[in-house]
Amino acid sequence: MKVYLVKRLLLMIPTFLGITLIVFAVLNLAPGRPGATQQGTDIEKDVRGEQTEESHRIFREQFHLDKPVMFNTFSGLSVAAVSADIDVLSGRVPADAAGRIAARERLDGYGGYAVPQLVEIVRRADAAGDLARRDLTVFFLRRAARRPLIEPYHPDPSPELRARNRAIEFENVAIRELRYLPETPEAEKRIVLEAWMRWYEEHRERWEYDLGDRLRILLLETRFAAYWHNLIRLDFGVSLVTKQPVLSTLISKLPYSLTLSVGSLLLAYLIAIPIGIFSAVRKDSAADRVATVVLFMLYSLPSFFVATLLLFFFSFGSDYENLRWFPTGGFRDPDFMSRTSAGQIGDIAFHMALPMLCATYGSLASLSRYMRTGLLDVIQSDYVRTARAKGLPEWQVIGRHAVRNGLLPILTLLAGLLPAALGGAVIIEYIFGIPGMGQWVIESIYARDYNAIMVVQLLSTLLVLIGILLTDLSYALVDPRIRFE
Amino acid sequence: MSAAHENAGAVESQRVAYSSIVWTELSQNRVAMVGLFVLLMFCLLAIYAPLLSLGQPLTWRDAEGLRFPWFGALFNRLLFENAVDVFFNLLMVLSPAYAVLYLVLRRRHGVAFPLVRGRWLRRICAFHLLLFTAVQVEAWGPVDNPLHTTSRIVDWNAQLAQIESGASVDAPLAIFPMRRFHYRETDPARSVLPPSAKHWFGTDKEGRDVFARMLYGTRVSLTIGVVAVSIYVAIGVFLGAIAGYFGGWMDVVISRLIEVMICFPSFFLILTLAAFVEERSIFHVMVIIGITSWTGVARLVRAEFLKHKSLEYAQAALALGVPRRRIIFRHILPNAISPVLVSATFGVAAAILTESSLAFLGLGDLSAPSWGMTLSAGRTENALWLILFPGMAIFALVSVLNLVGEGLRDALDPKLRS
Repeated sequence: MKVYLVKRLLLMIPTFLGITLIVFAVLNLAPGRPGATQQGTDIEKDVRGEQTEESHRIFREQFHLDKPVMFNTFSGLSVAAVSADIDVLSGRVPADAAGRIAARERLDGYGGYAVPQLVEIVRRADAAGDLARRDLTVFFLRRAARRPLIEPYHPDPSPELRARNRAIEFENVAIRELRYLPETPEAEKRIVLEAWMRWYEEHRERWEYDLGDRLRILLLETRFAAYWHNLIRLDFGVSLVTKQPVLSTLISKLPYSLTLSVGSLLLAYLIAIPIGIFSAVRKDSAADRVATVVLFMLYSLPSFFVATLLLFFFSFGSDYENLRWFPTGGFRDPDFMSRTSAGQIGDIAFHMALPMLCATYGSLASLSRYMRTGLLDVIQSDYVRTARAKGLPEWQVIGRHAVRNGLLPILTLLAGLLPAALGGAVIIEYIFGIPGMGQWVIESIYARDYNAIMVVQLLSTLLVLIGILLTDLSYALVDPRIRFE
Repeated sequence: MSAAHENAGAVESQRVAYSSIVWTELSQNRVAMVGLFVLLMFCLLAIYAPLLSLGQPLTWRDAEGLRFPWFGALFNRLLFENAVDVFFNLLMVLSPAYAVLYLVLRRRHGVAFPLVRGRWLRRICAFHLLLFTAVQVEAWGPVDNPLHTTSRIVDWNAQLAQIESGASVDAPLAIFPMRRFHYRETDPARSVLPPSAKHWFGTDKEGRDVFARMLYGTRVSLTIGVVAVSIYVAIGVFLGAIAGYFGGWMDVVISRLIEVMICFPSFFLILTLAAFVEERSIFHVMVIIGITSWTGVARLVRAEFLKHKSLEYAQAALALGVPRRRIIFRHILPNAISPVLVSATFGVAAAILTESSLAFLGLGDLSAPSWGMTLSAGRTENALWLILFPGMAIFALVSVLNLVGEGLRDALDPKLRS
């Protein structure tokens, strides 16, 4: 058993690696700059667009999406490569709009790594007297020289971190001032240029890489490495909306979601198993057929439709006054804390009755059907006939001999039902206003809070992984033949 | 050469026999046949929606002469911008021709020709898709596409009302479709009206006719179901076949991938992907559903291939030197496809449910008349007719598909065959 457990836990590692890889792929699929291409006319849309862009910038910095994906080769950037893009942008090399956009994106992508090359181009252009080209390059130099802060959203920064960030901020402000307009007189431009050259000489050693530096940049200063760095420290970033770390927010939401999804799963098993046993024992009776048809109808009934209908008829907001039986939503009453524990449980049950109903009925059909077929297989087997032959009462034959083996197939289903239950809870939490993970993920999607979406994705997957493991282990409890050797 | 021909003929006739057996089994299942009939009704409603509800008269005769605005409106992008509508309109216009073709072919090849000559069905489908693509193109070089117009829409309803109130001019002879509403026609004067003789299913907040929206929503639901499932069946069959047939490291990689994908709560994954897509269209929704739900099919196909690859016919084909690709797709796949067919039927139902859930959450295509969106409007407006009708429509379509799927499973299961 222990060996099996260790083996399973070790096997979870590649699976979890795969999961993180897929999440990484989704992150990298995120479109370039939402909102940047849309020109909003009304104010609301403008504000939204700005928010979207800001959220996307935070998200990109958090997951280092401004870096190359797997290998960072920018440490060996040649002057010619940077120069070629400048050529396109300055119009020296003819290019269409797409080519110009690509060149600009490449330059932005090089970021700070291109500073020495840009300085070199400025020098050469200045020497050659190509002023337009020089001015354009200074523009990009100013963008490239700006350094990002280190862990800007650290909840509790140490004094050293604070000091370093302050220094970076100070330098960024100084760099921001090193600019001139195209129509500025040449003498003033020259002052700024000299300031740039002084700044570069001062910080030159930053771009003087030895072999170790180059190797470090090649492998570690990439999106992939940064992503892993964040994952290992369990740093999923901060929420754009609340500026709180998303992980702690998620953990505070988990109890609500788990109550709903695990609770409804347990409830479904509790209801479906007796129905399945009954249908198997009374095979092809009228009651069996009715149960099959009714459960089949329930299976096809969309839960969000039932939830909306139930709220329409039976909530406190209902048009029918004598049907106002249940609250319109939420997980508990505001005066929850002042109640006795029995009162607290009752209050939660009162609030969760309708959501639980909606989350449960859909899985009844498949569960009871599997229970029925599983039990039918067992009932025909020899040992059940033996049990009957030795004169055991029927309830003992079914209840003690047959059911235990008939349970196996529906236990396998648990692993498949858990992801569905977690996903299905999203829409039910949304409709009933339960402040759980599902509602939070929808709110985050509306607010384009990428960090929150990603943490929900990763953590819910981890939960499912654990659920599958527990399912496999529970076989041993039911089936003595399985010993995991 | 002739031997190969005979061989092909034998394979063909065997396949006929198999599909005929399945059809006979299915037609004895009364529940499944009812389901199939209702499904056909849904399809007909989807195809002939403009005949049932559109604000353009079929004919309009006045002093200026006889006009047929309805026909022009079918391919007017200002009225039907969505590719789904264009596809179905094209199908509606060509349906008489297809029916005639069907009758001719049936006469020539016998009653069971769709089962015998599957290639004719494939040809017709390919032809229709090609034509659809041609209609989507705005212009061929300098020549404008006559079926891709964006001419001004005339409000014939208003014109008729104006003439009738004036009563000075002779009333034009106009024949309208059964209902006179387009699914996007808004009117603030008739916001949130309960069902009446004028609006059978009432109106929504923007004053759009709910019956028209639901009628055209049938098109959206059916398309989403079929296209999303086609995408994931294609992915699943391909990966499953490779994993099952070749085994080895390919099997390890693909099986791991399947395991990983199963761990994702798929609705979360769909929501996440939907969140990352700006300006979603229903085609995005289809692709998102397609790329997240292929694991079931892949597992089924893999298991079937593991079973079939060591059977004698597959070994014989290998010994004969038949290329691997041909063995996989021509020899084993036809034998392994039947469980996929069943799971695809259930999959269409599931995809329709997923799409309406997404639309309910406001994460679908906002311009498409999805049933889920109407239901969500019913929730905010607290109007029963906006909840009940779309909800029942989703329920009906999903349960009908599940019934057909059950019937198909029973028909395909050789263990139940006596």
